[in-house]
Amino acid sequence: MSLILDHVSYIYGDDTTLAVKALDDVCLNIPDGQFVGVIGHTGSGKSTLMQHLNGLLKATSGSIYFNGEDIYDKDFDMKKLRSKVGLVFQYPEHQLFEIDVFSDVCFGPKNLGLDRKEVELRAYDALKKVGLPDELFYQSPFDLSGGQKRRVAIAGVLAMKPDVLILDEPTAGLDPKGREEILEQIKKLQTETGMTIILVSHSMEDVAKYVDRIVVMNRGKVMYDDIPKEVFRHYKELEEVGLAAPQVTYIMHALKQKGLAVDVDATTIEEATEQICLEILH
Amino acid sequence: MGIIKAENVTFEYIRRDEEGNVEGITTAVDNVSLDIEQGQFIAILGHNGSGKSTFAKHLNAILHPTEGTVWVNGMNTRHEEDVWDIRQTAGMVFQNPDNQIIGQIVEEDVGFGPENMGVPTKEIWERVEESLKAVGMYEFRKHSPNKLSGGQKQRVSIAGVLAMHPKCIVLDEPTAMLDPNGRKEVIRAIRALNDVEGMTVILITHYMEEIIYADKVFIMDKGKVAMEGTPREVFSQVEKLKKLRLDVPQVTLLAYELQKKGLPLPDGILTTEELVQELLDLKNGNLERR
Amino acid sequence: MLRDITLGQYYQTESVLHRMDPRVKLGGTLLYIISLFCFKNFWGYLIAVLFLGCVIKLSKVPFKYMVKGMKAIIVLLLITVVFNLFLTPGTALITVWKLTITKEGLKTALTMALRLTLLIIGSSVMTLTTTPNQLTDAMEKGMSPLKVIKVPVHELAMMMSIALRFIPILLEETDKIMKAQIARGADFESGNLFKRAKAMVPLLVPLFISAFRRANDLAMAMEARCYRGGDNRTKMKPLVYHRNDFIAYAFIFVYMVASITIGRVF
Repeated sequence: MSLILDHVSYIYGDDTTLAVKALDDVCLNIPDGQFVGVIGHTGSGKSTLMQHLNGLLKATSGSIYFNGEDIYDKDFDMKKLRSKVGLVFQYPEHQLFEIDVFSDVCFGPKNLGLDRKEVELRAYDALKKVGLPDELFYQSPFDLSGGQKRRVAIAGVLAMKPDVLILDEPTAGLDPKGREEILEQIKKLQTETGMTIILVSHSMEDVAKYVDRIVVMNRGKVMYDDIPKEVFRHYKELEEVGLAAPQVTYIMHALKQKGLAVDVDATTIEEATEQICLEILH
Repeated sequence: MGIIKAENVTFEYIRRDEEGNVEGITTAVDNVSLDIEQGQFIAILGHNGSGKSTFAKHLNAILHPTEGTVWVNGMNTRHEEDVWDIRQTAGMVFQNPDNQIIGQIVEEDVGFGPENMGVPTKEIWERVEESLKAVGMYEFRKHSPNKLSGGQKQRVSIAGVLAMHPKCIVLDEPTAMLDPNGRKEVIRAIRALNDVEGMTVILITHYMEEIIYADKVFIMDKGKVAMEGTPREVFSQVEKLKKLRLDVPQVTLLAYELQKKGLPLPDGILTTEELVQELLDLKNGNLERR
Repeated sequence: MLRDITLGQYYQTESVLHRMDPRVKLGGTLLYIISLFCFKNFWGYLIAVLFLGCVIKLSKVPFKYMVKGMKAIIVLLLITVVFNLFLTPGTALITVWKLTITKEGLKTALTMALRLTLLIIGSSVMTLTTTPNQLTDAMEKGMSPLKVIKVPVHELAMMMSIALRFIPILLEETDKIMKAQIARGADFESGNLFKRAKAMVPLLVPLFISAFRRANDLAMAMEARCYRGGDNRTKMKPLVYHRNDFIAYAFIFVYMVASITIGRVF
């Protein structure tokens, strides 16, 4: 279930003088089962890019292939694409509307025209997958905490059984513990189901720990596309475009500069601890 | 008594179900006392739902304590006739910049507060100019707020409060909805206000890296003050912070992990530079001993 | 998609018209609109076109920008024209199938089209050069005599200006909610009327909830900034007439005299 973007460009406000190139010649290949982090600051084009993947926006030029099929082909079933490439937007408040959590999660599969039993089965399954406690199923979604709302929103998309799950800033507005919980849940979901997950974020520290690959967006272009370690080597360039590598990267680089023999590629606390202990205690 | 003093403040509200029957009573703020001196930079931390925002709304007389008293510059917030003076003394900035900007043009929004206070026209213009300059938004004075970034909008909100010439400014999670760049911008502006203008700042947040410059930190949990002290004192208790659903900056966490491995580092390291220096000293010390 | 509506949104630039007192612009626009409906002959419209042309020139707003804004109401314009064209009784000119175009119909259709276009461009010049805040100020000031009979003039003006401030925000939000629901398979475009109305529920519920939250937040923020109604309030930009405003009044007066004498008499 791969997604391929071939020289995709998107110009916003094409017919006016205010035309902005929101995406500029983006080429990406996202294979099956990968956990990808897409990083960029506000206005870098990362959200625009995600809306292309499920056909909400149509590229000005270039093509997108889902499982080898051109999604801009006139015979292509856009509705099916939207159920296969699930997109969860930043604010759960933008999608929750039903009287209780369970009915809200049913909305997606119901739109797919499934029978009632299947709809409810999927909704239940999805709510279980995001780790929402049973006693909340019949509560109003508006009474939930921020983290719980986020889970319901994710379940609402999961219930459509997508092959690819895109999460736009799933941690925005949550407190540190809430952020960690939701990211752990997503990671678990990925390992258990093996589904392709694309995590959009502006926080390097959040994603560094979880993803297999990082795509850095800047001014509508793909700036870096590599495994986290390789991307963080460019920490100076990242800083210039308003992104920061994890704090650990800075510490390791500073130590190295001062003559300590440490590996600058350490990105997590554990790796760094090990490196520093090795160097100082021996 | 300092500029703001809270004494045994408790705030309760009654939860009702759909028919309006009483379901129970929630104590959002539970017996909080604190005393803030003029010119201090205070941070109040806590996870979502810890009662920190509810408490903040007491400082501006938006909410009144169920029990206990809040004094702002010597005025009791319970006294109806002082309410406008209190709001003028302790200005308040909220979380969502879109929902607190009233004007359609940056300068008109900043002028809104002084207009309400009945400040003469000429002085309004002076205040708007100085406030916008203080947050570095003067060049955007003719812009529409809708075209600004989140960080810029929030700085306009701060200017809007500054134009009321408060003695103290309370910021209720001003960075929660911003991206890292916006957060940095806003925090820089807040620090400048405290450093340069000597403004008393009360910053409510859940981002730990924003409070390392504070003079004093209060950590709230379940409506109570769970910890208080200087950032260094607070950050030295990593385990306790984690229990309170809070994070510590990566540097502090790294230093803590290294300590656990037996490295003799001081408690509560806050910045990258500090840690690097400490580690270098250790390394050189080791060499000397050899 | 919704953001394309530019009709009448403030266009920022420096011009005589932008600096003009909003009361002049408001009064002028009202008189101009009245005049459009009073003309009895072609000359009147010519004067109106000339007047509008001068004003547009003075406003420094690109004409192209205004025309782009017209796109949104072109359908309305067409409907009016078609109705007038085919449904006015009179001497038949051409008959195609069951539809007859009459001489009178053609005349009314053309006048209507001209009138509406002039009306819309004319009033959009006002909103393009006047910030909504100035406009509400002008209305507040203009309607202030009504305070005597207990009309809450200040409150009305404040409500209007807040509504205007939040329209773009809510439009953007609508767009986002629609996208979030489309991503969950919602269909806003097909089906019969009943089905479509039902499909709006997932859009309207989040929108209303958000609007209420915003209203609540805003009320609190306004109170925190010492807002307590219109009494004892000063103005950052009080309305004061300058020399140019009197010249503008004179200009409007000339237009009025011209349109009465030429547009109605000849």
